[in-house]
Amino acid sequence: MEKKDWSLMFWIALVFAIFYFIPPNSDWFNNSVLSGINLLGEYAKQHVLTCLLPALFIAGAISVFIKKEKVMKYLGHEAKKYVSYGVASVSGAILAVCSCTILPLFAGIRKRGAGLGPAVTFLFAGPAINIAAIFLTMSVLGLKIGLARVFFAVLISILAGLTMQFIFREKVEKEKLIIQETEESKVSNIVLGLFFVLLVGVLVVNGLQINPLLKFSLIGFFTLGVILIVLFKFRNHSTKMWLEETWNFAKILLPLLFIGVFVAGFIMPLLPQSLIENLFGQNNLIGNLIASVFGAFMYFSTLTEIPILQALIAKGMASGPALALLLSGPSLSLPSMLVIRKVLGTKKTGVYVLIVIIYSTIAGLIFGLL
Amino acid sequence: MKIEILGSGCPKCKQLEANARKALEETKKKGEIVKVTEIDKIIDYGVMSTPAIVIDGKIKAYGRIPEVEEIKKWF
Repeated sequence: MEKKDWSLMFWIALVFAIFYFIPPNSDWFNNSVLSGINLLGEYAKQHVLTCLLPALFIAGAISVFIKKEKVMKYLGHEAKKYVSYGVASVSGAILAVCSCTILPLFAGIRKRGAGLGPAVTFLFAGPAINIAAIFLTMSVLGLKIGLARVFFAVLISILAGLTMQFIFREKVEKEKLIIQETEESKVSNIVLGLFFVLLVGVLVVNGLQINPLLKFSLIGFFTLGVILIVLFKFRNHSTKMWLEETWNFAKILLPLLFIGVFVAGFIMPLLPQSLIENLFGQNNLIGNLIASVFGAFMYFSTLTEIPILQALIAKGMASGPALALLLSGPSLSLPSMLVIRKVLGTKKTGVYVLIVIIYSTIAGLIFGLL
Repeated sequence: MKIEILGSGCPKCKQLEANARKALEETKKKGEIVKVTEIDKIIDYGVMSTPAIVIDGKIKAYGRIPEVEEIKKWF
């Protein structure tokens, strides 16, 4: 039998097991299933078209049109320190696509580029500053916490990098990084800039609380602008690569997101409200700390932290602990700690985890007061 | 001909290895395919974006998965 056959057998057995163990005619189960379906419905109706789709197109565009080499320049060891920290904190969106690319980039920046500090900043910010995640956070959980997420993620990433560098004071080997010139895009910077502005405009307008007719016409106008630019200014090759990258993102993110949404909806009626309220109900130190630790160890696949937080907030989690979870969740998990340990060693990894937990807790406390 | 696939083991690196193997089979050239998964060794090549493919010591592509046809041209 081929490998594919074994894989198929596994899935058939798994699906069968699921349905075999379904409790017959149980109220709680039916309730949970309905809740999962309803949450999926909510996401499909309110967030997929207006938020996720444009965000995916933007992510695809960023990965095709923004030259990685231009960004890597600022993370090399000739770059000024404050520049490399700043660039490291936002470049996750541009440089790292899948989580497995983050590690080699991290190692490279650390040993041959700007050093441990900016590398750690990148390590934290990479998964945290994710275009789709940020816009989905704003769309689902609200503008306030969405903005707080971006702001504190950038801040924590820089602080974490600085702290690590301060504690460990690593030196960089004076080797150069290979920075290969890729083909130049034939689109002028102005046109490219306009393209991005229009794409982001669609997202921003959608989030505004304005007259639906005005919103619809603005979005239509922006979309038309994007289409015109693509038709007349992009080479076929660029357009094809853009659409391909967008689809690659969609392929990776959407299926897991849908599963995550369903699971979050499923467990929402099951979550013990009293427990959540006791642990996370208030913006106190304990609540933020527990949320932070939970986020650090728990694995969230990209974007799934959002529906899970939605469920927790619905059951009484306060805004501070919610932000703490949002900050520590995406960047760390028990499996990722083990992988980071292979590159950083146990001691430095331990310090890094502590730093993330402490700073996320503080961020949550601050946000809770606002 | 020594073909090295640099990558820590995610699906992308596996896909690149599969493409390289297919290219080797189809051109019937002689070569060995070596997987480099240790991060330190990978950055020794100067590469930071995996997956990457190195043929006879020269980096041919990094940060993406070249198609079988493209790999064939490098042989």
